[in-house]
Amino acid sequence: MTRILLKNKLDDCIAAWQKAGYSVLAPVQRHDMSSFDEVQKGADMALDLILPERTIKDQFFPQTEPLIKYNISKKEIASETMTPPEKKRVFFGVRPCDASGLAIDDPLFGWDYKDDYWFKRRENSVIVSIACTEADDFCMCTSVKLSPDSTKGSDVMLRPLANSNGWQVEAVSDRGTALLESVSSLLEESSDEAAPVPEVAPKFDVEKVMEWLGDKENFESQFWKDISVRCIGCGSCTFLCPTCHCFDIQDEGDTYQGIRRKNWDSCSFALFTMHTSGHNPRNAQSTRWRQRIMHKFNYYRDKFGVNSCSGCGRCTRQCPVDMGITETLQAITNLPR
Amino acid sequence: MGIQEEYRKEAASLLSSGEVKLVIGFGPGTTADRRRAQFARTAEEAEKLVLDQNCIANLTTYLVAGGLLSDGKKVAIFLKPDAIRSLNILISESQVKPEQVVIFGYAIENGEVKELPGRSIGDFANLGEKLRTATPPPSVQQEAEKLEAMSPAERFEYWQDQFSKCIKCYACRQACPMCYCRRCIVDVNQPQWVSTSSHTLGNFEWNIVRAFHLAGRCAACGACDRACPVNIPLRLINYRMGKEVKEAFDYYAGESSDQKPVLASFNQDDPETFIL
Amino acid sequence: MSESFEPKIVAFVCTYCTYAGADLAGTSRLKYAPNVRIVRLPCTGRISPMFILKALQKGADSVLVSGCHPGDCHFAAGNYHARRRWTVFRALLAFTGIPEERIHFSWVSAAEGAKFADLINDITEKTRKIGPFTQYQELQKVIETQSSY
Repeated sequence: MTRILLKNKLDDCIAAWQKAGYSVLAPVQRHDMSSFDEVQKGADMALDLILPERTIKDQFFPQTEPLIKYNISKKEIASETMTPPEKKRVFFGVRPCDASGLAIDDPLFGWDYKDDYWFKRRENSVIVSIACTEADDFCMCTSVKLSPDSTKGSDVMLRPLANSNGWQVEAVSDRGTALLESVSSLLEESSDEAAPVPEVAPKFDVEKVMEWLGDKENFESQFWKDISVRCIGCGSCTFLCPTCHCFDIQDEGDTYQGIRRKNWDSCSFALFTMHTSGHNPRNAQSTRWRQRIMHKFNYYRDKFGVNSCSGCGRCTRQCPVDMGITETLQAITNLPR
Repeated sequence: MGIQEEYRKEAASLLSSGEVKLVIGFGPGTTADRRRAQFARTAEEAEKLVLDQNCIANLTTYLVAGGLLSDGKKVAIFLKPDAIRSLNILISESQVKPEQVVIFGYAIENGEVKELPGRSIGDFANLGEKLRTATPPPSVQQEAEKLEAMSPAERFEYWQDQFSKCIKCYACRQACPMCYCRRCIVDVNQPQWVSTSSHTLGNFEWNIVRAFHLAGRCAACGACDRACPVNIPLRLINYRMGKEVKEAFDYYAGESSDQKPVLASFNQDDPETFIL
Repeated sequence: MSESFEPKIVAFVCTYCTYAGADLAGTSRLKYAPNVRIVRLPCTGRISPMFILKALQKGADSVLVSGCHPGDCHFAAGNYHARRRWTVFRALLAFTGIPEERIHFSWVSAAEGAKFADLINDITEKTRKIGPFTQYQELQKVIETQSSY
């Protein structure tokens, strides 16, 4: 016997959470795109998607974030730090790959200083994930040692029932337990079975990949030029990745006033490493592609003990030229040793 | 012999004879209906190139990226009519030397691939006339007409919703063969003309500027629209710009490789219906 | 008592015709609305659509772009190029929902001081009637506030 939440109780659930002061966000299909947005009822949610096109990273690390407002007058320079409102939010219907992305990025945002923009939002949010029952050709969670029902990064894990009437409910963290308390009257005991988790055959051997990347001899290999020749250097993969986190600080304003902002940036852009002198250490797209792979599966791992990849597959799904990391890591797996 | 086999053989022989250093074609993609750009440098690799009705990408972007043609050597490339238009535009803007490009032309009609005879850009001169009278896909025209029928306020709201999605990934710019500027206006920060932030205003600025810089230069290949990861209907804006230059200046970009770029030339009797 | 709305008009003008025309309006003591802020360029051919967008972003309610009559350009062909550019840009702005009545184009020669004065008065009144350009300005306000979440 496990606790379940029936679909027909979902609206009441949302109402209860809203009463407790939470906004409820879920996958939605709006303006020809799928993303996470606020919902008022279950019917607003698009829970049948394999994965929404946008990640929930956007909700903790927005594309553009104002940091400081400044004003220069004859008498003084005034500045005001702009901090986000501490809004309590429940994220409902997050896929395990997206949830794990948050957990993967936590060490980075707390590395050399604690980034309150990230952590205040993390502290005020509860992640209610739904395990997958379907995968498509681009999913690769199992290749990075995760799975369609991994609880990493989730506070609550829901498993769809085989009869499609609702979900099995499992609290993963204290925060999750507390959230479920607020709707405990809406949950019931049941022996209904959960739907099976899809088979996602690994697409590459991540151990072999990490070994090859760790060998300094391979840094200058011709492999990098060959594998990246069709990359056009846009930021799609970076910006749709649940774990990519690079940003640029940009001052927007004029002589007397403005706002300093934190904007997403991508190592795929040609100007990412352009120095003021005009020298660019990563002048060729192949070096930028190499950096992407090395960062995710070597440098990040060295620093934080985990690969910077949640296996969602968006990089390939959305890539304008059908690239993404899967192809590269498969190629590395298959390289003659 | 089907067109795929025919072109594979010819591509292989061009490579073995050393006439071209590279053949840019298509190969299989991640899923059954996806095709990737494939770069063949040996006869063996050329024999693996794929050509079927899923080969819709415009490969001319690769001709102007990373200085590919700067060594003066020749490159062969698989081009559909809209990509041939792109090549015409690039040649008319002096970005590509016509003698460096060997074309494997093809057209996709009713789900089948047909050969377009010719190997150099000049061989496709009559294509221009055919393309000019071809209408844009009815769906694009209908969508654009729906927008035009709205009030300005409604249109603004429509574009506000669409542009608020923009994440400034510049996939549109990178996928477009005509966006070849070494330093794009959005990357210029002294002064910062176009905001790099992806708030709605910054997105409006970026998309308007890009549409304007493509006015009269767009080959309507759809690369930008397909590349956009957040599904902004860029085809509508670029279609509208194409329509404007056609109606106002009787100009159709990419008809031939010696056209004068429309916004770099003028007629003394250009229309001026709106001048006070 | 509420203040009546005073439109902000930005005029991008060429030095040799429209600016001279504006100067003539001044020396002839012709009165025209003080709402206009004139930005002088050497030629309309130099005017980039970015200027128009920036003017709107920074708070202009209407923009005027004015130069020499076709055939009279001090640089021979600058205004011909400008005319083509404006045709296209105007269509683009209209298509994206920026109202056509906010952007004006004119030919004003150095001798047409009266025309310049009338033009400014006309545009100012028309803009006063249609009100401030709130659409863009609201987007600008959003930028200046903190994130909503």
